Order: sequence, then structure tokens, then C-alpha cells
Amino acid sequence: MPPEGRPVPDPVEHAPDPADTEASLLARAQAGDVGAFERLSSAYADRVFMLLLRLLGDRSEAEDVTQEVMLRAWQGITRFRGQSSYFTWLYRIAVNEANRALERRSRRPAGVAIGADELQLPAPAALDPSRQAENSELRRALGRALAELPPPLRTALVLRDVEGLSTQEAAEIAGISQAAFKSRLHQARLRARAAIGDQALIAAGG
Amino acid sequence: MGIPGRTDDHQWSQRHLSHYVEGDLRPRARRRLDRHARGCVDCGRGIRAMRALVYAIQGLGGLAGVRAPETIFDRVRSGGPGGAPSSSRA
Repeated sequence: MPPEGRPVPDPVEHAPDPADTEASLLARAQAGDVGAFERLSSAYADRVFMLLLRLLGDRSEAEDVTQEVMLRAWQGITRFRGQSSYFTWLYRIAVNEANRALERRSRRPAGVAIGADELQLPAPAALDPSRQAENSELRRALGRALAELPPPLRTALVLRDVEGLSTQEAAEIAGISQAAFKSRLHQARLRARAAIGDQALIAAGG
Repeated sequence: MGIPGRTDDHQWSQRHLSHYVEGDLRPRARRRLDRHARGCVDCGRGIRAMRALVYAIQGLGGLAGVRAPETIFDRVRSGGPGGAPSSSRA
């Protein structure tokens, strides 16, 4: 769900200060208050890290790139004009940094394969054991299918289907038109569907 | 001899399954795909599989148990290359 308009969660263990709205934190950050920048960005840190984990498939690289994203955001905070939400702006930096990391990786002599296991999450605990096994098999297959997608297609699938962003917001983050984004998303879904197989998908879908 | 337009409809429907599931088709196009899928096993299965895929991928989205490391602001705090934003450097 897009976070626009959502109040900023307080990452520190004290009662939220009504003055700490996203707008006031942003204004203070743009004036050079690094604490305000950290509070502002902390609200989205878990999502940024998760996005990078999904796109890069490697926890240690995702940690490294998350640090780089925060540094880039801090360095560029005065250029943020509020034409998009802060979340969209931060996510766009994250996608750009993920692309740069993948580009660096592709230039290495022995490219590190993306880790399909990193692209998964634990299955919900509420499922019964047989359903959970089926579910975790599907999650593994999804993880493998995501890992095998070319980065632009993986980005489209992650932003729209995993993150649940609107097409408009996802396209803005990916830096392409909505029509181009939909085309990538369609290609990504077709490839993922082919990799997993209709039978397995329909069986899991009940 | 096949029904005129049958092959065209099938290929068109296969190309638009994702848009159909996404709700992106205009009403006329949606009716065209609906009409075709009612008599086409492949496309009917394709719609179910595409819906199941999107549903399953959406299920990956939870943040339970995944937290950003505490080090994420280390480079910001240490100044990093370039350090603070331009206005505070001035």
C-alpha cells in the first residue's frame, strides 16, 4: 500500500512528538539536522532494506547498499522538492543504487548468483502443516523465479506485486512511463508463470 | 477450417492475461477476453494461473521478522564521501 499521507512512526522509544510530522522533519533535515533526517528515513528503513534484499538477493550486499541509499538521500535532501512523496523519492534512490550494484556485479569475472533463498520470507504460522509445506514449496519456487528474472523485470514485479505499489508510483520509482512499466510487469509475470507452471500455481491457489 | 478470428482472439488473449488480471483492460477488451476464455481451456487456465501467481507473490510482501540493520546510518554519521547536504556545507 502506498504510504502517502501515512503518519511517520516514531522509531525512538518515547511518545511521538506532534511536531515530528514528515513535513517538519523534512524541513529540519533540509536545514542540515541529521537527527531529523534519520527520524524521517527510519520510518521507511525496513521497507527500503526489504526492497534491496528482494532486488539483490544477498543480505550483506543489501545492508551495504542500504547504507549507500541513506548517504545519497542525505547528500541530496536539499534537492528534494516534494514533487513526489519522500517515500517515492527514497525508493527511487534505492532502485537506482540496486541497479548500480547489479551492474558492478555483472562486471565481476565470476558473477555472484542471486540467492533465491534470500528472496523468500517465512510462511505465515497460522497455516496447517500440509498447507504450510505446500506454501513453502511455492515460496521457494517463487524465490527461484524472481531470482532468474532480468533486473528490470524483477524490479517491476517486486514494486507492483510484492510491495503492492500503484502502477503510477511503481513506474515513477522505476523511472519509466506507466505503459513501459505495465509491459515489463506483464513480461515478468509471464516468465514467472512459465517458471513455476500453471498446475502448481492453480493447485496452490486452491 | 477454423472459426474466423479464433486464432487472433487466442493470441490476443494470451498477450493480455496480465492486463486482464490487473484490471487494466477497457470494458470492450475485457468482454472480448471473457468471451474467448469461456470457450478456451488454455486461456481459462491462464487466467487462473495468473491470478494465483499474483496472489502468491503478494503473499511474499510481509515485513514480519525482517528489520533493517542498525548500521544503515553509519555512512551518514561518519560524513561519507561528500558528507552533509549541500545547504549545510555552505
